[in-house]
Amino acid sequence: MTKLSPLSVPYRVLQRGGSILFAVLFAVASGASAIPFVGVAGPLVFVGLAGVLVLLVVAYEVAYYERYEYELTTDTFDIRSGVFARRNREIPLRRIQNVDIRRNVVQRVIGIAAVDFETAGGSETEAAIRFVSFEEAKRLQAEIARLKRDESRPTEEDTPAAELFALSTKELALVGALSFDFRVPGALFVLASGSVPLLTSLVPDGGGLPVLFGVVLVLFLGVVLFSWAAGAVVAIVNYYGFGLRRVGDELQYERGLLQRYDGSIPVDKVQTLTIEDNPLKRYFGYATLYIETAGYAPGQGDSPGSQAAVPLATRARVERLANDIESFGSPAFDRPPRRVRRRYAARYLIALAAVTGVLFGVDAVLPGSIPWFAAVGLLPFVPVAAHYKWKHRGVWLGPNHVVTRNGVLKRQVKIVPYYRIQTIIDTRTIFQRRWDLATVTADTAGSLSLVQQDAAAVDVDAGEADRLRTALDSRLLTALAERRQTHRRRPSPGAWEPEPDRGAEPASATDEAVTDSDDGSGGSDDEEASGGSSDKEASGGGSDKEASGGGDDEEASGGGDDEEASGGGSDKEASGGGDGADAVEDAESSDADAVEDDSDD
Amino acid sequence: VEVDRVNRLHPRVQVVWIGRALLLAAVIGAVVTAVDRLAFSLPSPVVPGVVAGLALLGVGHAILRYRNWGYEVREDSLYLERGVLTQVRTVVPFVRIQHVDSSRGPVQRLLGLANVVVYTAGSRGADVSVPGLTPDGADDLRERLRRLAIRAESEDAV
Repeated sequence: MTKLSPLSVPYRVLQRGGSILFAVLFAVASGASAIPFVGVAGPLVFVGLAGVLVLLVVAYEVAYYERYEYELTTDTFDIRSGVFARRNREIPLRRIQNVDIRRNVVQRVIGIAAVDFETAGGSETEAAIRFVSFEEAKRLQAEIARLKRDESRPTEEDTPAAELFALSTKELALVGALSFDFRVPGALFVLASGSVPLLTSLVPDGGGLPVLFGVVLVLFLGVVLFSWAAGAVVAIVNYYGFGLRRVGDELQYERGLLQRYDGSIPVDKVQTLTIEDNPLKRYFGYATLYIETAGYAPGQGDSPGSQAAVPLATRARVERLANDIESFGSPAFDRPPRRVRRRYAARYLIALAAVTGVLFGVDAVLPGSIPWFAAVGLLPFVPVAAHYKWKHRGVWLGPNHVVTRNGVLKRQVKIVPYYRIQTIIDTRTIFQRRWDLATVTADTAGSLSLVQQDAAAVDVDAGEADRLRTALDSRLLTALAERRQTHRRRPSPGAWEPEPDRGAEPASATDEAVTDSDDGSGGSDDEEASGGSSDKEASGGGSDKEASGGGDDEEASGGGDDEEASGGGSDKEASGGGDGADAVEDAESSDADAVEDDSDD
Repeated sequence: VEVDRVNRLHPRVQVVWIGRALLLAAVIGAVVTAVDRLAFSLPSPVVPGVVAGLALLGVGHAILRYRNWGYEVREDSLYLERGVLTQVRTVVPFVRIQHVDSSRGPVQRLLGLANVVVYTAGSRGADVSVPGLTPDGADDLRERLRRLAIRAESEDAV
């Protein structure tokens, strides 16, 4: 059993003491007269009480430190903690998806770090260690990655870390320059709404409408500039010193100027890749890459909106990198039928008409006149906008992936391996039916999809949609079957099992079957077997790093993932109920197995 | 491998949906009446008109909904089609089924109906529900999907 870093005691004391002090000061400041000890002895009593409080905090933190132990075994990570209520927790290593290390400025100075363990689908962090030394944190991260990989082949030599991407200073400056923080205008608006008199006082009296417009324009420009500056600062603080490495089956990233993040993304848990750009980035030939794993996107909790795996790089580089992770090739998109452009044009015309109507109404109600017909000036842009909207849509069925493309101002190319597809949804609104169109969505178990768009072929021809639906369904099944074949036929190099054994022996074949069966019917009886056999899957995942670059590489790389995906689903439900520990035990019965093993010990 | 043609729901499910629509119309009617009495009086045909219109729309929607609902247990997947204004067709491959529930609410018990809910790990079509089955039919469908889900995996792997 290992303990936390001794330095965590003073740090935690100061942290907790600081918040208590703040609360006390706040209480004193808000209701000083109500405090009993204001007499001559007042200060003495106060100092005495404060002393007792400090002692209590120190005692608690020392006890916390003394009572907190963790241990990394070959297949679980165990934590024993708690001063008053004791808690023993075992997390099976194969369930750990991400190990995130965080250090703020103070922690960096004294050399400690916070470590978070994330499992699939859990909305909350599975285990949070506060705090160990940074070296120990890195050791844990590396060891967990190694143990997950080496469960089935202990003698494998460690692969050297391959640098995939490093953000140059120029690119960092570009990230900053291209970032707008839209939260800033929102906050400003809230603030400003409370001070309307102040704002109106800014408007010179008797100036009339032109002056009002001028003031509004200046305010608007100010807000834009401010949010741009804020966005730049946030982006630079977030992405300073960004680097992405591939270590075995994991991607490791680090970033951050003040708060430093070191995180890992297991490649075989990747559900969807998204390449995103906007007209500016397109013009200069840049793009952003997002990586989505089941139930969790790295950096989620800390800075929403910046889960980018690669914040900015040249398009070619982003595509190469994405191909490194999922070799999908270079998509040749099929655009929707041309009649879709007329539909979009009609849609924009209706929107223009609505805006004009509203402005006309305002004009009629308010005294004075505003140029309500101004929106009509946008008329020539309607066909252009419709054309571009059509032009940037597309879908491509690759050999192993379905790739979709949507959006003009925020164009997203989504890459989904067939074997990641969960359900296929074909929707036709009443308006789409008029044009004989449909939208086909490939739903995955990703997490970003809850807020963002799933990979969807929007406004394809109805007949084409029928074809897509069946094609996606059958390709999913073929891909799954192929993956199982690959797993059996191509055992990982360096596996201790001799090759013929795995291919021929019926026992191992059923073993594999049971493993794979975990990906579908999470709820039912075959769950127990999955605990043991998914180790083999891990080895399947391991094998692809030798074969990396090969065509069917990504098929192997997916080992063990579906099971995670399904785990994600059941986790989501379970974590809604009890606390974290319950979620770990209840959500997956194979986890419960691990817990049972524990109690036998 | 047996392959079904598109199955229809039990016609009695229309009773549930029509009842729900009428209830909604009644609630909105009550609100409009309250506004009429307490706040400002509306022209006399408005309240009955609103209620009748909503009821008519609701009943029409329920009937169309029944007509458009269909499910099919295919060779490798469960296929559903439904929707009045927006028609949705969902393909749920058996390998993706996590678990299957059959459930009966109080109204459904009264009418002798049951639901089957199919869960996947997907973020959006995470639960697909087939309403308007007979209790036996629901249990059969549940069992059948469960077996197919288990078999889909072992069969593929062999």
